[in-house]
Amino acid sequence: MSNTTKAPVEFTDIAKEKVLGFLESDSDTRLAVRIHVASPSPLDPRYDITLIEHHEKSEEDVVFDDPGFEVVMNPESAKILDGARVDWIEALQESGFKVENPNLAPIGSKPLEGRLADRVQQAIDQYVNPGVAQHGGHVTLVEVRDNIVYLQMGGGCQGCGMASVTLSQGIDKILREQVPEITGIQDVTNHSAGDNPYITPEK
Amino acid sequence: MPRVLLLFARTSYRADAFLLAARRLGVDVTAGSNHRQVLADLAPGSTLSVGVKDVDRSTATIVRFASDYPLAAIVAAEDDFTPLAAAASEALGLTHHPREAVRYARDKALMRKRLSAAGVSSPWFHVASLHDDPVGVASETVFPCVLKPLSLSASRGVIRADAPDEFVRAWYRIRGILEEIDVAGRSEGVAAEILIEAYLPGREVVVEGIVAGGELLTLAILDKPDPMEGPLFEETILVTPSRLPDGVQDDIVSFVRRCAAHLGLSDGPIHAELRVDADQVSLLEIGPRSIGGRCSAILRFDPEAALEELILRHALGMPFHGFVREGGAAGVMMLPIPRGGVLRQVGGLEAALEVPGIEGLEITITPGQTVVPLPEGNRYLGFLFARAETPDQVETALRVAHARMEVEVEPA
Repeated sequence: MSNTTKAPVEFTDIAKEKVLGFLESDSDTRLAVRIHVASPSPLDPRYDITLIEHHEKSEEDVVFDDPGFEVVMNPESAKILDGARVDWIEALQESGFKVENPNLAPIGSKPLEGRLADRVQQAIDQYVNPGVAQHGGHVTLVEVRDNIVYLQMGGGCQGCGMASVTLSQGIDKILREQVPEITGIQDVTNHSAGDNPYITPEK
Repeated sequence: MPRVLLLFARTSYRADAFLLAARRLGVDVTAGSNHRQVLADLAPGSTLSVGVKDVDRSTATIVRFASDYPLAAIVAAEDDFTPLAAAASEALGLTHHPREAVRYARDKALMRKRLSAAGVSSPWFHVASLHDDPVGVASETVFPCVLKPLSLSASRGVIRADAPDEFVRAWYRIRGILEEIDVAGRSEGVAAEILIEAYLPGREVVVEGIVAGGELLTLAILDKPDPMEGPLFEETILVTPSRLPDGVQDDIVSFVRRCAAHLGLSDGPIHAELRVDADQVSLLEIGPRSIGGRCSAILRFDPEAALEELILRHALGMPFHGFVREGGAAGVMMLPIPRGGVLRQVGGLEAALEVPGIEGLEITITPGQTVVPLPEGNRYLGFLFARAETPDQVETALRVAHARMEVEVEPA
């Protein structure tokens, strides 16, 4: 038996209109909308929104119909999506549903605040950046979330063949020593966009 | 927690993969390199600065380091560091190929001599100094032949000659390469020597394995589907599993096992390149190392592990048997540099990634940098990775995706 509940996910008017349009175009079968969290990583949160037939619901699914159609989520997705909003965006290159989810806000979307972030920032300013500056590099604190530090490397560090060594054998050790509460360090740099890497790999 | 010393060049393609493997195994890592880490003083024990030119001196540095930070294993990520890894492992009593075996395997002439002396069928060969008169050397050479500088790897500087005039041109071209400062500074003593050997016809294959206590564990056989007939021998596509008949593959493995044993390669990774002509198997080279570039990314094992993880497991004395290569086929294209100049951009990346079977694409040279094609060049433009049900599908995916890419190089 599915669990019918109050709407944990809000649909904007345009999103509702689009869903109803899709449902009407396939009116032969009774359809519902399934929202699935395909990737819960805050680095790259991804969601699948698909039309399903009613027999594709499972007993554990969380179901609600406040938007005017039935929405189905598995329990894990429902937990992560609680309080999310589904919108529809029209852009030049592509159109589609967009999920705004405060539980999985992309890294860097929250302001840097709090004592932990301050201490990490201080360690970066005092120890890390003076060091990597010798190679024209710099490190920027993007966010501290759930005791995981998200960093971006720039200048000579961006695209550098030794960036992973600097990160794991230098920055990681320094930050963990200075701020022992840290449980992980993630590099969110787009290294392929580096235009002046200090070292490029060779055979 | 055991500590492993990973040795790699400052320009390594392999550092990331080995660091990730070590992290997955939960071991402490010291990154040893000819590049002094800018944060070294602030993270003692995590990096070590060692060179490859003076192996004895660097070995002493590692032994001193090990008294403060005991080492359970020393693993070289690439060829240049294998003599140091062998010497330091020997000094500390750690598992590794013996120092002498590494010397035999790395020096293409010594390898030929050793294997010939052991009765292993080998092509004719001789060694010349680049200070010799090339016309005189050519007059004593049988054609077709291949000229190979002893101090370079990955097809760099390897040129086929079918006649004396081609031989002399190839000779001067190789001399030009070896005169470059970075090359000459790599390996003292052998930079001015060149191996001249018979050209071996046939298809080229690669064997990737780990030798443990003298027993070879074959991890993969990879085909090189592009004809490698020269005059240059640019590596492009590698596909596994091999499409050669099972019997031929058995012969290949058996041949590699014999070669490794005769050279004394007893404990560590091996990377062998061979020619197969009808049922005749010949060795091109066998290195005391694993596959280069980013190519190891196509070798995944079940239970979930990467090649680097298996290498570390062996070196650390952890169980590593029982891992089998994941099902299906996989392949990589080492993207060639079409011409020399300044790289402006590589276009068509999204279109290449959309080809069914393509699972990754990595460009390892950034726009604005000077690019040099083989035989002078020492960098790959990047790597294209594919995975599918069959080797044919993988090869097709790589070729279709590559055809969608546009490499813009402007004259320097």
